[in-house]
Amino acid sequence: MIQLIHVSKRYDQRSALSDVSFEIGKGEFVLLMGPSGAGKSTLLRMLIGAEQPDEGQIFVHQKNVTMLRRSEIPYLRRKVGTVFQDFRLLPKKSVFDNVALPLLVQGISSADIRRKVTEALRAVGVDHKRDQLPAGLSTGEQQRVCIARAIVNGPVVLLADEPTGNLDPALTSEIIELFKLINARGTTVVVATHDPLVMEQVNRRVLTLSQGTLLPERRVKG
Amino acid sequence: MWTNRATTMVAIVTTAFTLACVGVFLLLYVNLLAAAGWLQDDVKIMVYLEDRLASDSVADIEQQLRSDQAVASLLFISKEQALGEFKAQFPSESHLLEGLGQNPLPASFVVALSPPFHSPDAIYRWAERVRQVAGVSKVDYNQDWIDALAKVIHSIELVAIGIGVILSAAAVTIIANTIRLTLFARRDEIAILRLIGATTSFIHIPYLLEGAVLGSLGSALSLVMLKFMYELFRQQMRATGRFAGLDNLIAFLSPSVCLALIALGMGLGFAGSLVSIRRFGEAKA
Ligand SMILES: Nc1ncnc2c1ncn2[C@@H]1O[C@H](COP(=O)(O)OP(=O)(O)O)[C@@H](O)[C@H]1O
Ligand SMILES: [Mg+2]
Repeated sequence: MIQLIHVSKRYDQRSALSDVSFEIGKGEFVLLMGPSGAGKSTLLRMLIGAEQPDEGQIFVHQKNVTMLRRSEIPYLRRKVGTVFQDFRLLPKKSVFDNVALPLLVQGISSADIRRKVTEALRAVGVDHKRDQLPAGLSTGEQQRVCIARAIVNGPVVLLADEPTGNLDPALTSEIIELFKLINARGTTVVVATHDPLVMEQVNRRVLTLSQGTLLPERRVKG
Repeated sequence: MWTNRATTMVAIVTTAFTLACVGVFLLLYVNLLAAAGWLQDDVKIMVYLEDRLASDSVADIEQQLRSDQAVASLLFISKEQALGEFKAQFPSESHLLEGLGQNPLPASFVVALSPPFHSPDAIYRWAERVRQVAGVSKVDYNQDWIDALAKVIHSIELVAIGIGVILSAAAVTIIANTIRLTLFARRDEIAILRLIGATTSFIHIPYLLEGAVLGSLGSALSLVMLKFMYELFRQQMRATGRFAGLDNLIAFLSPSVCLALIALGMGLGFAGSLVSIRRFGEAKA
């Protein structure tokens, strides 16, 4: 589902990633660990074509992301849901409209939008807040809305960059449970985090980055 | 689009003023061109015939001129008529001719050319051609005057084009700036749209439309301003009395030119958006 082959990336003269190779299969749940500045965000951005590697090849869902034309990138992103630490919701749009956005930009009919958005909001448990503005929600709820927006398309991969960075431990485990649920339905999930708490909760495959290089893999026993 | 109303209004009004300047020049140009047209319509070409030409030859020349598609009308003036006219026009001078014993004035055709041949170039070429005809001694028209007029029209054209280009560029810049502000205010929203798989055209089309609408509104407003100035100007002319009657000769821009101006505004607005979207895209990449 995801494959990196000798990927390197530098900003100016500083190396952000160097010679990173790995493969993630369909339906896997993988944690991308490493301290702040290790290159986790850079790696995730490259998976959706928001950044290009200086060297190496990246494959996502059988597409060579490094070879994609600019005009093809939106179609890749419709297959890859993304969740962020800072949510990135539109402040002036209701919860419903925020979650509907990925469908709206594809020109999907409003009946289908209503159905799919309702499904996604139910799956993350915030359907009762559908008409509110994001600012009226708690941080945990906002993150759920963000996740609903990421899955509303039925993506093959869900990428999350520090999704629990703004959440307390209780909320963190709720969100992790949500990711596990989504993963159980067949979506490949990649969560980047520096939070050891998340690692304890997930108990799955872990890829660790340190100063841009991938450390030998290990599996956390729980 | 109406999120920052003040900037939008400022953009429309400045665009309107800019395009109104273009309109003033256009109005000036259209009217001067019309005036020049009337003057050129009045141009008569004298085709003088050689003395003692046989009446057969005169008929030949007349036939040739009549069948010429450039000729709108033709009037023959015989030597006698020419003399009569001279005497009528300059009674005190007629003794000058009497002393000569015979009529020195040549017979001639007074030719008016049809409108497609009213340009100075066409008149010149026609005159040169007729000069070659056997039996024609001289072809005369007020060349200096026509040349001067042509020069004036040409320089007005150049000035109008120059000012039009500069002011159009100004309008593009104004609208580009407005759209840039909107893009900047919406940069988070645009980033989110990119992230969730919106195509470039989906993201850009609203801004291109906004630019086009700003441009059209600006040029529509400029036409309103122009019409107002035009009516005011005519009223002033009527009031002073000195140009009475002339005020009716001054035309406003024709409906098709008005439409063209609005289309121009729309195009400039579209171009303005395109400029800022390009810049914005580059800044992001
Ligand atoms: N846009 C950028 N411009 C310059 N340097 C960057 C940029 N993005 C990331 N970096 C650098 O790349 C390295 C990896 O950053 P990042 O991928 O954000 O790490 P992480 O997400 O693991 O904290 C850091 O040293 C960071 O300063
Ligand atoms: Mg990061």
